[in-house]
Amino acid sequence: MRAARRRNTELSLLILALIIGSGALALVAVARSTDRLADVIPFMIVLVVGYVCAHLVMRRFAREADPLILPLAAILNAIGLAVIYRLSPKGSGPAQVSWTVVGLVFFAATLMLVRDFKVLSRYKYILGFVGLGLLLLPATPLGTPINGAKLWIRFGGFSFQPGELAKICLVIFFAAYLAERKELLAIASKKVLSFHIPDLKHFGPLLVMWGVSLAVMFYEKDLGSSLLFFSIFLVMLYIATARFIYMAFGFLLFFAGAYIGYQVFDHVQLRVRIWLDVFNPDLIQGDAYQMAQSLFALATGGLFGTGFGQGRPDLIPAAETDFVYSALGEELGLMGTVAILMIFMLIVARGLRIAVRARDDFGQLLAIGLTVTLGVQTFIILGGVTRLLPLTGITLPFVSYGGSSLLSNFILIALLIRISHQGAAEPDPAATAEILIGGRGSVPR
Amino acid sequence: MPVLVLDVLKYAFLAILYLFVARAVKAIYVELRPQAAGGGAPKSSAKGAARPSKRTKKPTRTVAVIEDEKLKGKTFAVDGELFIGRSSDSDITLDVSYVSSKHARLFERDEKCMLEDLGSTNGTYLNRRRITAPTELQRGDQIKIGRTIMEMRK
Repeated sequence: MRAARRRNTELSLLILALIIGSGALALVAVARSTDRLADVIPFMIVLVVGYVCAHLVMRRFAREADPLILPLAAILNAIGLAVIYRLSPKGSGPAQVSWTVVGLVFFAATLMLVRDFKVLSRYKYILGFVGLGLLLLPATPLGTPINGAKLWIRFGGFSFQPGELAKICLVIFFAAYLAERKELLAIASKKVLSFHIPDLKHFGPLLVMWGVSLAVMFYEKDLGSSLLFFSIFLVMLYIATARFIYMAFGFLLFFAGAYIGYQVFDHVQLRVRIWLDVFNPDLIQGDAYQMAQSLFALATGGLFGTGFGQGRPDLIPAAETDFVYSALGEELGLMGTVAILMIFMLIVARGLRIAVRARDDFGQLLAIGLTVTLGVQTFIILGGVTRLLPLTGITLPFVSYGGSSLLSNFILIALLIRISHQGAAEPDPAATAEILIGGRGSVPR
Repeated sequence: MPVLVLDVLKYAFLAILYLFVARAVKAIYVELRPQAAGGGAPKSSAKGAARPSKRTKKPTRTVAVIEDEKLKGKTFAVDGELFIGRSSDSDITLDVSYVSSKHARLFERDEKCMLEDLGSTNGTYLNRRRITAPTELQRGDQIKIGRTIMEMRK
């Protein structure tokens, strides 16, 4: 009964999300003289059919799962689609619709194939090596540099960003590894200045991850992924062991890495200069142009935005990928961007709740890892485009244009949904106790 | 399309967007509520079960483990005082990381059986409520420590 109620909640939220998404596409079409409403109707149909199918798959394969994850992802995906279509009605727009369909197929396939997420922990070393391989693959001659960063693999007519898939493989590996070792890593054998310090050798895994993150930064010039992988591991390590010292040491390593990066690479120095001095006349027409345009777009948007199709978000370079949030800010204003932010926060909140309800260490750490991946990635890019942090190019989950990103994020939420389903489906000990008490109380003595 | 119409549509769109956020938040709230109501249910049944125990007061009280990986089905006599914790010298040893080494104790005073939390990290729950002070136990009450659930007998 509870499962049916959850699925009905999900359906009603999903319908609202799809109405909003279709509305956004329709608004783009009616606002611009170059588009007709008939152009976007096929997109709406694909979106509605795709998500309703995903919902039906959940009814069949994850009945007890959290009812919010899918509608929240759907609304981000649909609004992102409207913005991408608005920016590129012939190129990226239709491509993103196709990628959404592919993503939903992978979402359904993940739910169907991974019937028990605990099975994943058996393949931890394979997944760990695959993840590491994917992460470092673009550094080999196979990688193609785009905009200075080497994160792409090209085969045939396709280009693919293996780092996006690597993050899921590595999160599974971290979760399995840490679930196995958490007690060992948490043992504090020494006490220095009232701090409990674990054995020095237990800092090894953190150092290894630091090395991998540095390698990504050095060979692929991808600051965003480098930061993302390191922070995911750090948060998971902290949650597994509850030892603050790892966090402190991790921050130390992060600042050391950032300092080395700043000293060695011109492009890191340039990012920091743009961040601190975006309106410098020497930079604004050149290197800081993109950042400045992003801020102008947000300023133009004001509180309520210009309305879909009525701003000029196309002036921001890379508006459909990294800077999609600024494009949204111009046309939906602060109100729209805050709503998007709240939706991301709700996803993270649900993810953490799924982790709390998971019944084993592996499930708990996996849910945490997947949630943190989404949350940190969102934070890094939103901080970048709003000039809270130096910009590190990375996609905004579900909103940005990009097949690899969309696909891996759909797999990510499918795994979260699977953990959520199993957390709720297995008999709740408290509920069993209630039945026992109820039964005994009714027996006359 | 006239600008005025587009402006109205823009505000309408933002309003529906916030409606979605509000509905999502409400769904979370609704999901949490039945659990709060469910917490009251075992209490009322426990009260009903407690009444006969007052008539048939017996000196030996026992506590039965009804949910635990290792100890499920075992019964322990309170016999004056009973310590529960992770340390091996406890009367009921629960070797789980959520449990503090000296977690809680049950003790008898003036014909009553009391439950006291010994400053544990994750708390001791009586009928799903976290206790903050020594609390009287009734027959049928359930005590939850970590993931272990015990029930008062007699």
